[in-house]
Amino acid sequence: MTVVARLEEGALHPEQELGALLERAKGDGAVVSFTGLVRATSKGGQIVDRLILEHHPSLTQQSLEDIAKEAAAKFDVSHVLVVHRRGDVMAGELIVFAGAAALHRRSAFEAADYLMDRLKTEAVFWKREVGPQGSNWIEPTEADYTDRERWS
Amino acid sequence: MKVVFYGRLAEEIGPEIEVSVLPSCSVADVREMIAAEHPDVAGLLRNRRVLSVVGERMVRDDYRLVAADTLEFLPPVSGG
Repeated sequence: MTVVARLEEGALHPEQELGALLERAKGDGAVVSFTGLVRATSKGGQIVDRLILEHHPSLTQQSLEDIAKEAAAKFDVSHVLVVHRRGDVMAGELIVFAGAAALHRRSAFEAADYLMDRLKTEAVFWKREVGPQGSNWIEPTEADYTDRERWS
Repeated sequence: MKVVFYGRLAEEIGPEIEVSVLPSCSVADVREMIAAEHPDVAGLLRNRRVLSVVGERMVRDDYRLVAADTLEFLPPVSGG
């Protein structure tokens, strides 16, 4: 079992992250991964040039580790990998990679789904969308909190 | 005592401030004191999703502070 959670300052390379997960998953039957990108438009339809992800000096990394560990404990998975960007992320760039390996696909799908629901509402980041119209703080929606509650 | 803010709270109030606290005052007392001085973010400060942290641990509103503590207020967080 490996559980890895990493805060990434530079670009995210999903092919490398998936490759690392596949390498570890020898003997498993499934690897499921999710890659999140920064949308080029806001919910209100405004242009988004970039996201700024502010983080806490210690609690952000801690939150990523806690979420990854709890996914590993909750599902029948052999490996969990979470990589999350911080700082400025341009529209179209990758912001998050969440993956899980397991003997059977259902556990891997569920673990990846769970990771993202937790990350959306509990990863310690403060996000701002920046575009020609200025900047807006982005907080989880009620739907995000409801998605999170599915796993309680 | 030092009070540290993040996200929208830091933008509105500043990343950190010094406040004078009476012995055994609570997190709720400090929250209300700052809310009174910053009415623009009073609603956000009182949001139940704003987390209070002392020594890298989440604390409840009734946590009793000492002058050497650093209190951090974390507005609603969101990754992904």
